[in-house]
Amino acid sequence: MEGFLQALAAGLLIGAVYGLMCVGLGLIFGVMRVINFAHGDFMMLGMYTAFYLFTAAGVQSLFGNAVGPFVSILLAGPVLAVFGYFVHRALISHVSGTRTASLEGEGHYAQLILTLGIALILQNGGLIVFGSVLASIRTPLSSSAWELGPFFDISIFLNKARSIDMIVSLIMMILLSLLITRTRIGKSLRAAADNPTAATYMGIDVDRAHRTAFALGCGITAIAGGLLATNYPFHPFVGLEYVIVMYAGVVLGGMGSIIGAFWGGMTIGLVQQMSTLILPTQLQNAAIFAVFLLIIFFRPQGFFGRMVERT
Amino acid sequence: MLRIEGLSAGYSAKPVLNDISINVGAGEFVAIVGPNGAGKTTLFKTISGIVKPSGGAITFEGVDLLAVPPPQRAHLGIAHVPEGRQVFPSLTVMENLEMGAMTESGRRDWQTNIERIFEWLPVLKERRDQFAGTMSGGQQQMLAIGRGLASSPKLLMLDEPSMGLAPSTADFIFERLIEIRRQSGLTMLLVEQRVAEALESADHGYVLEAGHVVLEGNNDTLRADDRVRKAYLGM
Repeated sequence: MEGFLQALAAGLLIGAVYGLMCVGLGLIFGVMRVINFAHGDFMMLGMYTAFYLFTAAGVQSLFGNAVGPFVSILLAGPVLAVFGYFVHRALISHVSGTRTASLEGEGHYAQLILTLGIALILQNGGLIVFGSVLASIRTPLSSSAWELGPFFDISIFLNKARSIDMIVSLIMMILLSLLITRTRIGKSLRAAADNPTAATYMGIDVDRAHRTAFALGCGITAIAGGLLATNYPFHPFVGLEYVIVMYAGVVLGGMGSIIGAFWGGMTIGLVQQMSTLILPTQLQNAAIFAVFLLIIFFRPQGFFGRMVERT
Repeated sequence: MLRIEGLSAGYSAKPVLNDISINVGAGEFVAIVGPNGAGKTTLFKTISGIVKPSGGAITFEGVDLLAVPPPQRAHLGIAHVPEGRQVFPSLTVMENLEMGAMTESGRRDWQTNIERIFEWLPVLKERRDQFAGTMSGGQQQMLAIGRGLASSPKLLMLDEPSMGLAPSTADFIFERLIEIRRQSGLTMLLVEQRVAEALESADHGYVLEAGHVVLEGNNDTLRADDRVRKAYLGM
């Protein structure tokens, strides 16, 4: 029982961060319908950005070892959003949006090749610039825990850094849902996703909406990456490990659903942690995909797949 | 207000519009009628910038429209109610109307516009929080019209508002359009296959066949024309 609750708690903590990570990708896919293979590598850049902001840019001396990492992580978001904005402007916009709307397959082949190319450049560029030594954003909070309970002789230990990671993820998620559902920008993003042609008739610049979504998606995933980096060491090829999980989360949540992507990521976090109760740790990822296939078998449209459309 | 001169357009190598000239004066209700595949929707898409013309000119209130990027054209005061309604299915009725009001004038007049739209099309008020994708075709058509009106347009372009609707629903929508026009004096450009209704409501009409304007004139002239009577009115 104690082991179960402990795994459940750990799953919820990591699941919230996975959820945020998936939402970044889900936003890009939902609005642009572009499959971005480089998204894991954007996250890797976010991790290194947070790392260098903390160690080299003076955040550590300004905010200390406990708060400093989280300040750097939150700052890495806007940095990667700006980076994503320019990558979209310089590269992605040439193979997506209104330029390819009338082409066969809407330019998906070019998108696959381009984002794979960007992924390779970021991975190997990262290797040249950052080196292959494992890095991590350590805080004293990473190695201490809060004790919950005891309730009926059972105590649950919550890692402090992971708990704060979860709180930051949830706050980001709430802010993002408010942005998407309540603001004019958010609504125009959804309109552009629903029907780009009709959105153009409304006076919405669809390419600009795509750029906004791409920048936002990169920024959000960068923050999620930074949060993961407080507990997991990283290297320039770390994106590969996460991009599969991101796609599994987006598909589980329902392609195109932004809130769904969060629950998809949460599910993956829970399955990953709970599987350690019955399976050896090496099989964590195998368990994720076994459950993934099972869910997709019974609910092919994902948790929040679009049910409202009508022809 | 809207002047189209010698316009030609098409997809790839296949021309759809050939040397079309159409004139819509301020306050006029102009109907363009013709059979399927005559190029009516392509004409509207060219005005909105989704299709690039191969020749000719379009001016709107003296502005060279072809030099204006497509998303900016709505901001000049052109509202396009597209063929097949094309509402935003995962947005609510209210959010759809808000998307219509993305233009500066739409934002400025939001309160008065929304009251008038709800008065003209009460079903939208009843269903304001419903997802647009879950509504019936007729309701979606009314939403598409309301969404167009929400931008405070100078010109309302309607692409086959009766398409795919039950005859009684289509009649109701025509009746609403005439009422909206009577109360607002809005300039309207209508494309329709239901020729009798379209010509009845409009001041001026054009008959489009295989990409050519084959006939134009005011309401009475067209309805008196032998070819129109035989081919479209079944008389």
